[in-house]
Amino acid sequence: MALNLSRRKKTGDDDDIPMAPMIDCVFLLLIFFMVSAVMRVPPPFTVTLPDSATKHEFTRKKYNLFISGDGRISIDDQEMLTLEDMELFLAAHENQISTLIIKADKRAKHGDVIDVVERAKQRSSKTEGLEIAFAVSEED
Amino acid sequence: MQAQAGEAKLSLLATKIRERKPPTLSMAPMIDCVFLLLIFFMVSTTFSPIPGLRVQLPPPGKPSPDKPKGLTVRIANPEPGDDRGTMVLNDEVVQVDEMFNRFINAPEEATSMLIIQSEREVLHEQIVQVMDIAKQAGIDKIGFAVVARD
Repeated sequence: MALNLSRRKKTGDDDDIPMAPMIDCVFLLLIFFMVSAVMRVPPPFTVTLPDSATKHEFTRKKYNLFISGDGRISIDDQEMLTLEDMELFLAAHENQISTLIIKADKRAKHGDVIDVVERAKQRSSKTEGLEIAFAVSEED
Repeated sequence: MQAQAGEAKLSLLATKIRERKPPTLSMAPMIDCVFLLLIFFMVSTTFSPIPGLRVQLPPPGKPSPDKPKGLTVRIANPEPGDDRGTMVLNDEVVQVDEMFNRFINAPEEATSMLIIQSEREVLHEQIVQVMDIAKQAGIDKIGFAVVARD
């Protein structure tokens, strides 16, 4: 009886959930999410993407190119004042850009878009040329 | 005097006892922080892919001198007050709604590639619409004609 009582007292002492394995798991999850996180960087202007029934899916990456309705260009949140700036930026980050995703506003002029496409293509040293995609609206 | 010495001894003993206790790291605040970070990263991470249309461009270099065999859509600048420019498919004016049938009924060898030749003021929306219709009709290669400038 006395033994039983003392045992109960002992278990009652560390009755809490074991913390260490939980902390291990939480740390693992934290590291996983930290590594896989790609932050959504909004451009300095609003962009309304055009609609399309057919769409191909591209993995979300850094360095998206935005073109506004009035012809402003930015790569992520950095606004490019001239096409030369854009060209230099793309050349500097060439190894990190496998597909250049152009998020052009639906009211952007084709001339502005094609200028960007042409510059990006020219700059690329890859023999196949840089892969380029136009982003479309996510709604169906 | 003696009492003072005894007191000092006692306090020394007390500190010794205190030192013997192993120092503990308080885990709770750290876990709180880690959980907060975890929740932040879980919420801000987006795994959804970006929907888009692939643009196939001819390899860089000089344009080929032969006339392209594929379909060519030419789009004129929209009139003031109008959003859409007139579209011409291989020398014939076409409307958006009949474009799909034109693409489907085009001869086999022509549907390998579509070239969009558009003026600068045409809205991007219209270009994407034409690309969309072409993809629906099974044309995978879509290229843009670029006007040579000096």
